[in-house]
Order: sequence, then structure tokens, then C-alpha cells
Amino acid sequence: MRNRWMNRFLIVAVPAMFLLAVTALAFTKQAAQGQGAAPAAQGGGRGGRGARAEVSMPTPRLSDGTVNLGRIPGEKGIWGLPYITNMGARNIVVGAPPAPASEGRGARGGGGQIGGGEGTAGGGQRGGAPSEPWVPFQPWAAAVYNYNSLNQSKYDPEGYCLPPGGPRLFATPYPAEIIQQPEHKRIVFIFEGGTHVWREIYMDGRPHPPLDTIKGQTWLGHSVGHWEGDTLVVDVVGFNEGTWLDYFGHPHTDQLHVVEKFTRPNKGTLHYEAMIDDPGAYTKPWSVAWDIPWNQGAELQEYICQENNLYLNHLKDDFGNPVIDH
Amino acid sequence: MRASVWAGLVAGIVLLALSAPVFAHHSFAAEFDSSKPISLTGIVTKVEWMNPHTYFYVDVKDEATGKNQNWAAEMGSPNGLTRQGWTRQTLKVGMKVSFEGTRSKDGSFKANARNVTVDGKKLGAASSEAVTP
Repeated sequence: MRNRWMNRFLIVAVPAMFLLAVTALAFTKQAAQGQGAAPAAQGGGRGGRGARAEVSMPTPRLSDGTVNLGRIPGEKGIWGLPYITNMGARNIVVGAPPAPASEGRGARGGGGQIGGGEGTAGGGQRGGAPSEPWVPFQPWAAAVYNYNSLNQSKYDPEGYCLPPGGPRLFATPYPAEIIQQPEHKRIVFIFEGGTHVWREIYMDGRPHPPLDTIKGQTWLGHSVGHWEGDTLVVDVVGFNEGTWLDYFGHPHTDQLHVVEKFTRPNKGTLHYEAMIDDPGAYTKPWSVAWDIPWNQGAELQEYICQENNLYLNHLKDDFGNPVIDH
Repeated sequence: MRASVWAGLVAGIVLLALSAPVFAHHSFAAEFDSSKPISLTGIVTKVEWMNPHTYFYVDVKDEATGKNQNWAAEMGSPNGLTRQGWTRQTLKVGMKVSFEGTRSKDGSFKANARNVTVDGKKLGAASSEAVTP
């Protein structure tokens, strides 16, 4: 009996380990060939594949000691945002199962494994709210989430080329850059994906405008930030209700208040956490978190979602009628 | 011999990694049926190198009738394709190409392409299959 198991182990595990080793070798070799191996015309797209040496490099800092969340002068690089399809699988509250080990699929890799789709990729089977008892849904939010699960997210606002909502900005798998401008007391986030949007984080100590003046007013919210040691904390309010929190369709209301925390534990990793505080849709705040890989040598490209969105031409409502009247 | 086998394997793994699907801005599952994988070869009749999806159209000969069917194949956006080795000139009208992908749910001659073989070279199509459930 033991021999049989040992044989199975040898048949399955040893080749698997060998394959892993070969893959690692291939990537190492590619990395050793340098970032410039990719033709310049590719915009640095593939340049960083396999170049995960950055995870063992120290956190870059600005001259005043502040953590540098962007590029080192003279170098190129972008954050390869992963594809997080379900915030419910990234919940870090007590009671939630551990988040998937993989980083999700980077927009241009970055080491993320295939299948960051929260374990349900390809199956089309979703459990809706009952499968996520750790997400504190209000009853109506659970019903909406169930509906989005049943219709496989066909009304996802991103399908209409509308921007990602709240933390979904960092879960839509095209790259992003973080540009710190301490001289202007601001930080700018530039997102290639979503709808080619940017966010300005006010670092000048200003408060949010009175909530009644901005409630429901913006797609990306009003962002004010400050440093707590090496952690950038960004407080965001003023969201409208036009976006979803993720592809799976967790809803939110205009009471959404997001607190984001950014750390860079090493050159190659941005750790992202977001607290979702929306008493309109959830009975208590809940938090999500994931790591974002640095893609050394790469640059942003253009992505204009609205150009030729044929998806809407085919989209039919629940009664079989076209959503867009031609 | 053995060295060439391993070289092939390594190349295959690297190719797989490079052709990893990226992203569709819309629901894959709502439009395509994962239980309908297809593999087609035909002549390119039109290329739309555009956001949020690049499309190419191919005339595929229907063996039963001998007539051509014009298929539309959806790929990723130009930025995603560029990162997988494509250029705007990779596909041209009149070229013979093969592609593997998934047929649309409504049974029309439309598919999401997972990979495309052009000039003997297999390229990832930056599609969303296996990413979005």
C-alpha cells in the first residue's frame, strides 16, 4: 500500500516539481536577458515578466524618507493590477476563508498565476450571498447580489464602459501608476484600464467638503490622504451609485465610504487594503486586501473603452428586448 | 533528442504564460458558452483593431454546404494584444488564420478567440475566457 502511494507520488509530484523548476529556470533566463529583450514597440508590455527580483529589494523612498509608491528616478515600471472578480473572496474579516493564494492575473502578469478568479473561474456557478456569510449584506443588497450572480453579471457597468467603483479600481486588470508630488501636496493615481481614469489624492490636509454637498456626486469619489508611518491612508466619500464593487456584482449605495491603505513592503509589491463602509448596503464595515506586483520596465498604454463597444449591441434585457434601442 | 524535447516543453510553457488571457470589459459568461469550444480556419475579410475589443472576421468554408460563413472573432483590446506580441499589422485581409475559442450563446457565427495562429505563430488573443466565470 505504502509503495503504491509512493509510486503515485513519484509519478505525479516529481514531474510536477520538475516542471515548476523548468518554468522557474525559463523565467530566470528570460529575466537575465534583461528588460530590454522586449521590442520597444510593445511599450514595455512584457518587459518585466519574470523579473520578480524586485520583491527582494528594499522599499524605495523619496529624499525625505517618505515611502515611494512609484518609480525610482531613471527607471520605468507600472503596477500590474490583478483581476479580482469577487471582493467577497478577498474579505479579511474574521470568519472569511483565506483569500486565494495566487495574486490573481496581472494585467501583464507580474508573476500572478492563472486563475485568480476566486476559484470559480470558468464554472459559471455562483452561490450568491448565501455562499458568502461573512459579507454583512443588507437584505436588499443580498437580493441584488443574487440577481447579478444568476444573470452572470450581464449588466455590469464596466460592460457599458463605466468606471470601476471604489476598490475595484485596483482590481481591474490593466496597469496603473502612482505619482507622488509632495511639492504640490498631492498624489495622482493613473489607471490605464477602467475607462482610462485618474484620481487626485489631496495631501494638503483639507477635509472632505460637507457630505450633503458631494453625496452621490462623483464616480470615483473625493479622496483625501495622509501618511501613518509608512502607510498611505486615503479616505474616499462622495460616490454615486453607478458602479459595482466588483465583477461579481456586490452593490453599494451613495453612503459608501472607503478607507484605503497602501504599503510597499518591498520594491516589487504594493499591498492594498480597502475598508468598505456602506451602511446603505452592508450592516457593518468589511475589508478586502490583496497584493499588486510591480512590473519593472513597463509603461502604460492607451485604452479607450468607449470606442466600439459592440457588447451593448447584443445585450438583451430579462424580457429578451435589446437594452440599446437602435 | 532529449534536449530538444525539453526545449520544446520550455517554449510551450513560456508561450502559455505569454498567452495568458487578460480581460474583457464585459461579462464573458453572459455572451459566450464555455461548453461550445471551437477551432476554425479561414481567410480574414476584415480587421477592427479597436477598443474595447479587437474583432477580426474570417470566411470559413462550411464542409456540408461548401459555402463560406463569415465568422466574427472577438479578442482583447489593442493594449492587451500589444502586450502579447500583436501589432496592428499582424492580421491583414486575405491572410489565412486559425483560431481556437468559444462560440457565442446565441449560436450566431461569433466567437471569443482564445488564441490565433498567424503565419505559423500562435498568439494569445487577450480574451477573457477562464478569467470571468
